[in-house]
Amino acid sequence: MIKVESVTKRFGATVAVDEVSFEIGEGEIVGFLGPNGAGKSTLLKMMCTWLPPSAGRIAVAGFDVAEQPLQVRRRLGYLPEHNALYEGMKVDRFLRFMGNIRGMGGKHLEERIAWAVDKCSLDAVLGKWIYQCSKGFRQRVGVAAALLHDPKVILLDEPTHGLDPLQVVAFRDFITGLREGRSILFSSHILAEVNSISERLLIINHGKLLADTTLESLAKTAKSKNQKLEDAVLDIVRAQGAA
Amino acid sequence: MSGSTVASIGFLTGVRVIARREAAQYFDSKIAYVYTIAFVVLANSIFMNEFFLTGVVDMTAFFTTMTMLLPLFLPAVTMRLWAEERKSRTIELLLTLPIRPIVAVAGKYAAALLLFGMFLLGTVPIVIMLMVLGEPDLGRIAAGYLGLFLTGAMFLAAGTLVSSLSADQIVTFVSTVLVCFVFVLTGQESVVAVLDGLFPSVEFGTTLYESFSIRPHYDAFVRGVVGLPSLIYFLGLSALFLGLNAMVLERNRE
Repeated sequence: MIKVESVTKRFGATVAVDEVSFEIGEGEIVGFLGPNGAGKSTLLKMMCTWLPPSAGRIAVAGFDVAEQPLQVRRRLGYLPEHNALYEGMKVDRFLRFMGNIRGMGGKHLEERIAWAVDKCSLDAVLGKWIYQCSKGFRQRVGVAAALLHDPKVILLDEPTHGLDPLQVVAFRDFITGLREGRSILFSSHILAEVNSISERLLIINHGKLLADTTLESLAKTAKSKNQKLEDAVLDIVRAQGAA
Repeated sequence: MSGSTVASIGFLTGVRVIARREAAQYFDSKIAYVYTIAFVVLANSIFMNEFFLTGVVDMTAFFTTMTMLLPLFLPAVTMRLWAEERKSRTIELLLTLPIRPIVAVAGKYAAALLLFGMFLLGTVPIVIMLMVLGEPDLGRIAAGYLGLFLTGAMFLAAGTLVSSLSADQIVTFVSTVLVCFVFVLTGQESVVAVLDGLFPSVEFGTTLYESFSIRPHYDAFVRGVVGLPSLIYFLGLSALFLGLNAMVLERNRE
């Protein structure tokens, strides 16, 4: 569903993403872990067609992001890092707009809005202006908008940012329930969050993919060295510095 | 398996959806009401002042003065269109939706045109008053309105383009005012004379007047002449600005 082949992104002399390759299949939930500025968001921005890769190729649902961006966007649900929303719109009107612009309408759209509102617990703010919503509600509005059209590929950049612990648990259950028939990639800089949602982990730092591993394998490594999971991740990051 | 929705949206439907959102933004934020009232009050005052001085059942002076009012009002309509999207980062949300940038540009432009249409509707009582008071040349007035609409449409297209180049609405407003006034002032006799004097060998002022300024085209409409070259001038430049706007959005993403 997602195929990233030797992708590089340069901003002038700065290399934000450096020769990254990985694949994500149907039914997989993959966590994208790395410190701030590691290149996670840049990679997601390329996968969602917002930024063109400087080199390499990205295919989403079988379509090339550079050659067939509209085909990619139709199959993609994307929550950007800062979750910018139209502040001057009411939540229900915003969701309807997001459905209409994706070619949805009538009873089908109403059903999908009802589903998204239920899953993201948005009843309380449905008639409110977005600027009146708390950070947690805004994040859930962004997630609802990204999933409204029932996409096959879901990219979520820091999706739990601004959610309280109870909401994080509900979000985890919600995302896990979406697994079937879809590929989900979400970024975070918090290991515990990735640990609770996904089995597979991509660790990135300074634009380079340092590890493509399962949490099970990482846990085994940590256990063999008698260290915590976090320390095993830090070892991987430090090894890059030493190299 | 999920029942994923892979719907596509046609050009006109996309434009309509974007335009509806933009128009709602104008009305929800009260911008539409404030701008329309201000424009209508000023435009009608300008006409009444001229009308009481000359007492002629004609709108020529009104149409001529409007070319100085539009470069001040219309940039205020377009300044937020893309600058606000850039500043609030919603541009990333909008341009990763399954629509081409030209659809988003056309939708925003359509909403701005709608607002401008409201401005012009607010001046229709002048025509009604003239019809009550005498027998104005309605064909000439209609041509004048068409010229005014096309000029405004061109300024709105220029403003939409300029708005895509900056995230700062003030910079966008001032830049658009300047661009619009260049189109107007290159048609002023005094400006043409000065430029001709500076570059006599190429008659720079006259060249600009004939090939660049709105004046010869707009004046033809005000005289009641709807010519194909003038229609091509306004529509062609508007299309050029909108096309450039889509190109800017496609390339300027970093």
